[in-house]
Amino acid sequence: MTIVDARGLEPPEPFERAMEALAELQSGQQFTLLLDRMPHPLLRMLDRDGYRNEVSIRDDGAVEILIGRP
Amino acid sequence: MSSANPGLAYEDTPPLSAPLRFFLTAPLFGICAGLVLLFGDGVLDSRWTPGALAAVHLLAAGFMLQVMIGALQQILPVVAGVRVPAVLGVAGSSHALLTFGATGLAGGLAFGLPDAIIGGAMLLLGGIGIFLIAALAGLIRSPSVKIASHAPRDLRLALIGLAVTAVLGLALAFAIGRGASLPIPLAQAVDLHAAWGWLGWGGILLAATSWVVVPMFQITPSYPARFTRWWAPVVLAGLVSWSLARSTAADGAGIVLGTALMLAFGAFTILTLRLQSRTRRSTPDAPFHAFRAAMLAMLAGIAALGANLVDDGGQWSVLAGVLILHGGFAGAISAMLYKIVPFLAWLNLTQAGIRAPNMKKLLPDIPVKQQLKLHLAVLAALVLGVFVAAAARIAGLLMLIEFGWLLLNMLRVVRNWQRARET
Repeated sequence: MTIVDARGLEPPEPFERAMEALAELQSGQQFTLLLDRMPHPLLRMLDRDGYRNEVSIRDDGAVEILIGRP
Repeated sequence: MSSANPGLAYEDTPPLSAPLRFFLTAPLFGICAGLVLLFGDGVLDSRWTPGALAAVHLLAAGFMLQVMIGALQQILPVVAGVRVPAVLGVAGSSHALLTFGATGLAGGLAFGLPDAIIGGAMLLLGGIGIFLIAALAGLIRSPSVKIASHAPRDLRLALIGLAVTAVLGLALAFAIGRGASLPIPLAQAVDLHAAWGWLGWGGILLAATSWVVVPMFQITPSYPARFTRWWAPVVLAGLVSWSLARSTAADGAGIVLGTALMLAFGAFTILTLRLQSRTRRSTPDAPFHAFRAAMLAMLAGIAALGANLVDDGGQWSVLAGVLILHGGFAGAISAMLYKIVPFLAWLNLTQAGIRAPNMKKLLPDIPVKQQLKLHLAVLAALVLGVFVAAAARIAGLLMLIEFGWLLLNMLRVVRNWQRARET
C-alpha cells in the first residue's frame, strides 16, 4: 500500500501532497498518510466527501491516517 | 481557471475577509504608536507618562489584540476543531468595536480625556465579549476530536486570561476616568492588569500557538509533551496566586511567585530557542530569525523585570516594557503574520478551486527580510531611548516606517491574491 510521508514539510506542502494522492486514488484503493499533527480541516473534508479514514497516533507522536475511496 | 483539487474543498476555514480585516488594521496602531513616540515629550521617561500609556495600549490593545483575535478565528477551527458561529458577523462587529475602542482608549490616555478612556475601554470589552461568547458557543458545539496537542486547552486558558485582563482594564478606566474606588491601590491594580495581559493572555496565547506553529512552520522537533502538559495551567495558577498575594499585601509571597512566573516564561523562551536550534530547515528564512530574535528580546525583558525587583529605578520597568512588548510580542507577531497571511491567501485560492501560486510568489522574501531588519533597528533605538530621550523620537520615526512597511507587505499579499483570482 502507498505511504505518503508528509512529515517535516512546511505548510501548505503536506496538504498539497495529500491532495495529489487523493486525486490519484481509484475506487476501492487506499493509502496511508503520515503527518506531524492532526489535520482537522482535512479530516472533516474527507468525512464530507465520503472518504473512509482511520486515524491513529503513533508512539513517536506522528499522526497516521488510513484513507480509502469507497 | 484550473482546478487544483477537483471535487474537494475546505469549508472549515472562515472567509478570508474575516481575519484579514484585523491583520490590515493592526499595523495602523503600530504607526500611531510611532507617532506618539515621535511627537510626544519624554514618552519613555517612566511607565506612567501619558505618551507611554498611550503607546503601550496602541501596541497591546491595538496592534496585538487585532492580530491575536484575527488569528484565533483561523487557529480555533484548524487547531482545535472549533468553528466560530456567524463568523463574518462576529468578525465585523468585534473588529469595529476593538478598532474604535483601542483608538478611544489610547487617545484618552494620551490627551487626558476621561470619557474617551472609559468609552474606549467599554468598546474594547464589548468587542472582546462578542468574540469570547462566539468562541465559547463554538467550543460547546464542536464535536469532540482526537487532539494530539495541548494547544486547544491552552487557547481556552488564554481566553480566560484575556477576559481577566479586559475586566481589570475596565475597572482601571473607571478608577482613572471617574475616580471610582478600587479595593487595592491603583499602582497594584495596574500591575495586575499588566501581568494578566502579558502572561495570562499574551504569554499563554503565544505559547499555545507556538506548540503548533513553531514545529509546523519552522520544522523543529515538537515541544516535549510533559512541558506542554503543565506549562499553561501552572502559569495560570501561579498568576492567580501572585494576584492574591499582591492584593493582600503578602509582599514576600508576591516576590517569590512573581520570580517563579518570570522563570516559567523564561523556560518557555529558552526551550523555544533550543528547538529552533534543532530545525531541519537547511536555510532558515527571515521570519525564523525574527521569531528567534523575539524570544531573545523576551528573555532580556524578563531580566529587566528581575532587575526591577532588586532596584526600584523607573527605567527597568520601561526597558522591560519595550523589550517584551515591541521586541518580543510585536516581533513574534510580525514573524507569524508573514507565515499566516500568505498561507490564508493560498488556502482561499485553493478553496475556490484556483491553482494557487507558490507561497513565495504571494509574498517574496526580500521585503520581509528588510522589514524585519528594520524591526530590530527600532528595538535598538527604543532601548537607547529609555536612557537618551532624543533616541525615543528616532525610534518613533523608525517605528512608523516599520509598521507602514508591514502594512504594505500585507497589502502585497492581498494584491497577489486578487491577481491570482482574476487570472
